[in-house]
Amino acid sequence: MPERTVEVVPEEGLHARPASLFVEMVNDHDATVMIGPEGAADDDLVNASSMLAVTGLGVAGGEKLRIVADGADAEDVLDALEELLSTPEDEL
Amino acid sequence: MNETELKELIDVDLISLDEPPAEKRAVIEHLLDLAVEAGRVSDREQALADLLAREEESTTGVGMGIGIPHAKTTGVEEPTLAFTRSTEGVDFGAMDDEPATLFFMILVPEGSSQDHLTILSSLSRSLVHDEVRQRLHDAETAADVQRIIIEEVA
Repeated sequence: MPERTVEVVPEEGLHARPASLFVEMVNDHDATVMIGPEGAADDDLVNASSMLAVTGLGVAGGEKLRIVADGADAEDVLDALEELLSTPEDEL
Repeated sequence: MNETELKELIDVDLISLDEPPAEKRAVIEHLLDLAVEAGRVSDREQALADLLAREEESTTGVGMGIGIPHAKTTGVEEPTLAFTRSTEGVDFGAMDDEPATLFFMILVPEGSSQDHLTILSSLSRSLVHDEVRQRLHDAETAADVQRIIIEEVA
């Protein structure tokens, strides 16, 4: 399955607006996306289509996120999510 | 946070099991008033403004029937968590369109680094589980709710 490890640039981390844009982007694609902290085992990844699950990760700015995608849009969604996570919050 | 700190964070006075108002902003004010009545808020207006500013950025209706309005604010001196629940459900603007039935308000003082995010993420991690949400709905007293939250956040 395609996957990437991406640094979370928004200072506050994966919270508030960056997090809601992230979840929206996942839900706009035909793919199942699982995420977790860098190096997380497959079993510890959470479903990125749930805002509650994403909030539960508590990913801070500067930390890295492991993103695994499966489905027709897997590569596209990874590109989109990587771009989002690489953008400072005030430019979102 | 240790158990003593958690007990202070969510004192039984900060838990209401009565049906809250049916509209999002009114629920937020209702939670805030629990904290005001418990003597936890030094500036209600400021705390409300900070909570609403956060909602403006993106909703804290995080889906699965959960609403977690939160803010870092000069309106409180100590980290404070308030709880209420609804049988009717309230539109909290969640992405999954599920009405919210469990509400947690987190307020932390301005100087307190990222405490509110730590509380927010441990709470969210446990609320993902159906069984935890069900226990909060079934709890019969404020003390039961307090015990569940302490168990889950600790």
